[in-house]
Amino acid sequence: MNSKQIHRFVQHYLDATNCSIIEKSPYHFTVKLSPEADRVLTGRPYYWSFVDRTGAEPETMSYLFVTNKEKYDSAKEQSASSGTAANPGGMNRTDEAAKSALSRSYGFVHGGALATGRMPREDLYYGSKRLEQLFDAAQSSGSYVCLFQEPDARSSTPFESTAYTPWLGVNLRVEFQCDRKREELHSFGVSLATGQCVENFQDRLNALKMTPRLPPNIHLTRNGITLGKAVTIAESTLERKLRTYDYRWAEDAAARLKEELEVVNHYYEPLLESAEEERREAIMEQFNNRKAEIDWQFRPRVTVSAINCGIFHLAGID
Amino acid sequence: MADTPIHSNSIPSRALQQNAKNRLHPLVDLQFDRGWHDELQARLGRNGPWDDWTLYQLAIEARQSRLVGSFDELQCIRSLPSFEPMPHQISTACKVLHEMGGRAILADEVGLGKTIEAGLVLKEYMVRGLVKRALILVPASLVLQWVRELNQKFGISAVAQKKEHTWHYDVVVASIDTAKRDPHRDILLGNDYDLIIIDEAHKLKNKKTTNYQFVTQLRKKYCLLLTATPVQNDLDELYNLITLLKPGQLGGQREFAANFVVDKRLPKNEDQLQEALSTVMIRNRRGDGGIHFTKRVVKNVPLLLSPEEQALYNAVTGFVRERYDESGGDLTSMLSLVTLQREVCSSRDAVFLTLVNLFKKTAEDSPMRPKIWELVEFIRQIKENTKAEKALELIREMNEKVILFTEYRATQEYLLQFFRSHDLVAVPYRGGMNRGKKDWMMDLFRGRAQVLIATEAGGEGINLQFCHHMINFDLPWNPMRVEQRIGRVHRLGQTEDVKIYNLCTLGTIEEHIVSLLHEKINLFELVIGQLDHILERFEKGDKPIEKQIAQMMLEASGQEDLRSRFNQLGQTIGQVMETLPEPDEAQSKAPAIGVLLDKVSRTVEVRP
Repeated sequence: MNSKQIHRFVQHYLDATNCSIIEKSPYHFTVKLSPEADRVLTGRPYYWSFVDRTGAEPETMSYLFVTNKEKYDSAKEQSASSGTAANPGGMNRTDEAAKSALSRSYGFVHGGALATGRMPREDLYYGSKRLEQLFDAAQSSGSYVCLFQEPDARSSTPFESTAYTPWLGVNLRVEFQCDRKREELHSFGVSLATGQCVENFQDRLNALKMTPRLPPNIHLTRNGITLGKAVTIAESTLERKLRTYDYRWAEDAAARLKEELEVVNHYYEPLLESAEEERREAIMEQFNNRKAEIDWQFRPRVTVSAINCGIFHLAGID
Repeated sequence: MADTPIHSNSIPSRALQQNAKNRLHPLVDLQFDRGWHDELQARLGRNGPWDDWTLYQLAIEARQSRLVGSFDELQCIRSLPSFEPMPHQISTACKVLHEMGGRAILADEVGLGKTIEAGLVLKEYMVRGLVKRALILVPASLVLQWVRELNQKFGISAVAQKKEHTWHYDVVVASIDTAKRDPHRDILLGNDYDLIIIDEAHKLKNKKTTNYQFVTQLRKKYCLLLTATPVQNDLDELYNLITLLKPGQLGGQREFAANFVVDKRLPKNEDQLQEALSTVMIRNRRGDGGIHFTKRVVKNVPLLLSPEEQALYNAVTGFVRERYDESGGDLTSMLSLVTLQREVCSSRDAVFLTLVNLFKKTAEDSPMRPKIWELVEFIRQIKENTKAEKALELIREMNEKVILFTEYRATQEYLLQFFRSHDLVAVPYRGGMNRGKKDWMMDLFRGRAQVLIATEAGGEGINLQFCHHMINFDLPWNPMRVEQRIGRVHRLGQTEDVKIYNLCTLGTIEEHIVSLLHEKINLFELVIGQLDHILERFEKGDKPIEKQIAQMMLEASGQEDLRSRFNQLGQTIGQVMETLPEPDEAQSKAPAIGVLLDKVSRTVEVRP
């Protein structure tokens, strides 16, 4: 993700969670979080349970999110030299002292942990903790949806009803794993009317406007298959596809696994034979542990899990 | 999915029991996680709650950006904006990941960045979701430094182990001595660690130690052992280390002995051994011109003692000589007296403390007592400390951060007070301080204190690249200790030339020591690591150098005799240095083992 993509991502996240953006440039956002976003991002469970129990008016936190550090800093330097120095993210001396005291004891204190009464600055770059957290936040509140395609405003007449087909849409993550790993994403859509299965379903959805509310003048087709059946169709489509893949990586890993096991057997078996009775059990345990570790490390496997899924009602009968 | 997380890195036999398993290939199982299906069904039944469409799309975008597209390409580099690893560090990490299956000994020479290499491996595994839980065991003095590096350089949320509950964090840094003790021991042995990193792993060379056995018992998928000296004396050390990592890699103990060992210091079938080693060990060495350290600028600062100080020096020297003659030349019993001789060059406070202790130890009716008392009278006469005045003057001139080393605690205390009374902010540093206090002192030194007064240079924890002035208030007689002192400031990362000042009182033994170290051994300009080899050869079959110096001092009949004896010593060392091969070829204690290690190594060029 480059800084532009990050900027767009953050913009979308803040919009979707109803945060109020106080100020922004192509390189930063100054934002007051919505209660929804504050709950996920600031790590203040005690504060929020206090608010929930007492019904107090919540005071959410504000942040300076910088999406392009170099450009933001140089822009700020310029404005500072022209006389309007402002440093909302700068730490004052007490904070510095507190931070250095804490880091003496803990080695490192993340900037956000000390945010008291000032606007903490967070540099969002690929790999930064805060961006990872935004990723996780998007994931946890973007897992299950039920949506309707918004009808095209021009073509709809109040006297016609458009037929809508419900689809199961699911984004799957496939992990190919031994001591090494790679991943693929697969997006499937299965029509609940006909059982038809399409790939790259997410691309198709992204091109449409979706709404959580049932639009006027539409009617839903009857489900032809159950949800369980649709899941099976998606899974077996994926499985058929995966069978055609090249599994040399797995053969290599299995060979390594076998080799390692032989080495370990070769080491422990004579050791067990010559060991005294009372030591044998401990050696056996070590032997078994080591075998389990090697299996854990090298055994080739493929796992499929869902990133998110939903029911999508799309115009047309498919 | 958020509600039904899958830990793809947990032990397969225990994971995913509720899920379906199919076979994709004779060797490969396919596992479907089906939690999402039930959850979707449930939400349909309740008609909600439903998530936001934008967030749904963002979740996919986030996952896509984190997608691990290939087995090989190093993913973590793009998420490390704050620093750029050196090429040899990256290639080392790649080799561990791609060819060694994540179990390796990282045996780079000091200063080439083993920590960085380990950090890269850890980060890469974390990015790929192959490591979630990691345990890092290091000497206590390095715990906070590791935590800092992992957080700042790698953005890994590593936590220093403090309390029992800290063990529940995903990435924990702890001292091995704490970890192996109850109640921690059982907690750790009950866990499955995706990765264990052990720093200073040469401490695990003995199979019989509790540390060794503890590490053997820990359950781990990947494992990194870090050490600059994988083998020091004995091939068995190497065998033990590798057996810890991968039992059987070099066969059983007896097989190893039969196949690879002639004598414990002499390997055989070196080609096969070397091949076996290179599958589990990576060693980078500095190349010939590879050491781009900044310069060391040495300045000896000659001083004339005040008449009172000179009187004390002479009196102490006379006292020590007298005792030696009385003892009939028995060197071993003279230890504390030799200390006295060294201390008198440092400060009256140091001498005083030793004298008081000596006084307490002697019998009440001993003829020694009045003599000691006499010496104390000499101390009483002294009003100022010539060296301390000079040091103050030097520090004021530099007007930058300075580290000052002394051998003696009493001198340290005196200097602290002396500097304070002259409005110079100084902080102490000594071996006996606990971890937190040491760190605090370092922090103060980094901050508002201009001077750090240290009695200890050996601690691995102090890295002072930000400071490039160093004063040797007094000099240890053991050149290695001087080298250690310099190594604190003159190391990789130092961007300035390092200025070293040796305070040297004329007409005392110190004058000889400074000339020996500086002119004869040329200590201050030696390539790092070279001194080791010189001393090793020089001391072969003889006493350590500081003992030889002590003996010379006790036996010399006068100033002239002492001078000629020092000259003699200097010449002997000079001869040793001439016979020494180029630093590059210099070997460890067992030359054959050194050759073996060198064959496994790879030479890299490094810039500070």
